[in-house]
Amino acid sequence: MENIVIQGSHKDYFIPSVNFNAQNGMCEISGESFLEDTVEFYKPLIQWLETYTGEVKKPIAFIIKLTYFNTSTSRSILDLLNVLKDYEDNGGEVVINWHYDENDVDMEEDIEDYMIDTGLDINLIPFSQKS
Amino acid sequence: MSAKHDLINTMNVNSVSVSYTGPFDGQVLSVLAKNIEYSLSDSPSVNKKMFKIFLELAQNISYYSAEQEENRRGEEAGVGTLTIQEFDSHFVFCTGNMVTDTQAEKISGKCEKIKNLDREELREYKRLMRKLPAGAKGGGNIGLIQVALTAGSPVDYKIVPLENEKLFYIVAVRINKHEE
Repeated sequence: MENIVIQGSHKDYFIPSVNFNAQNGMCEISGESFLEDTVEFYKPLIQWLETYTGEVKKPIAFIIKLTYFNTSTSRSILDLLNVLKDYEDNGGEVVINWHYDENDVDMEEDIEDYMIDTGLDINLIPFSQKS
Repeated sequence: MSAKHDLINTMNVNSVSVSYTGPFDGQVLSVLAKNIEYSLSDSPSVNKKMFKIFLELAQNISYYSAEQEENRRGEEAGVGTLTIQEFDSHFVFCTGNMVTDTQAEKISGKCEKIKNLDREELREYKRLMRKLPAGAKGGGNIGLIQVALTAGSPVDYKIVPLENEKLFYIVAVRINKHEE
């Protein structure tokens, strides 16, 4: 199974960096997510997770370090988390770490909403960002 | 001057920090977002809120404005207007754009609903809407709820009829400089 590596950028739109590793099960999304076509960007990531959880079936560490994501991205994140929830329900081992800027006072609430939506445990890890 | 220009001018009256009228394409959004994120307030958490609110409101204009314009690269983007006013204790974000009758009806319904919800109800409504299928380009349906949540204050709106039976939609939201 191929890895997904996307180098993010902050130009006309904000493309997040993605690193999904099929060898060690580390999957990381970082940076900012504000895309011209959100669904098109996240579709291969969701498919990758479906394949990994269906065929490779090893533990997954899912790491989110997004300092900004728009509301259409928030829907795609929910889709990704739902794949992880299905995997966990079927005996898969899943750890989710969500790193967020301590200045972003609403992020904790956002993450909490994802936990309510999916029933997953998400580890909240605040960091301080120098601007 | 047309009624639309009069409206844009009334949005520009007091202590304006940022003002832009034109197509809201990716480039414009990105440049304005950068300025808003780093230059308006001394508080990083207030700047973060302003940045988020700007991007949601600007994307609404970009996707849904009934007036579309091609930029130099031939990309279509919605046309609208944005102002940010600074007052002693708060900022006011205001955007305006043309909408169709059908859009106006949907917007009024949504704005009226959001206006009457408290924070917990807004969060619940957002979770409910987020489970529904995405609209075009993955957009839609939760931007305004998110704006109300991020601002921590109600979203005010107005739909103003213009000449030629066209409609101009204005949204205003207040962001306090200090956490209450």
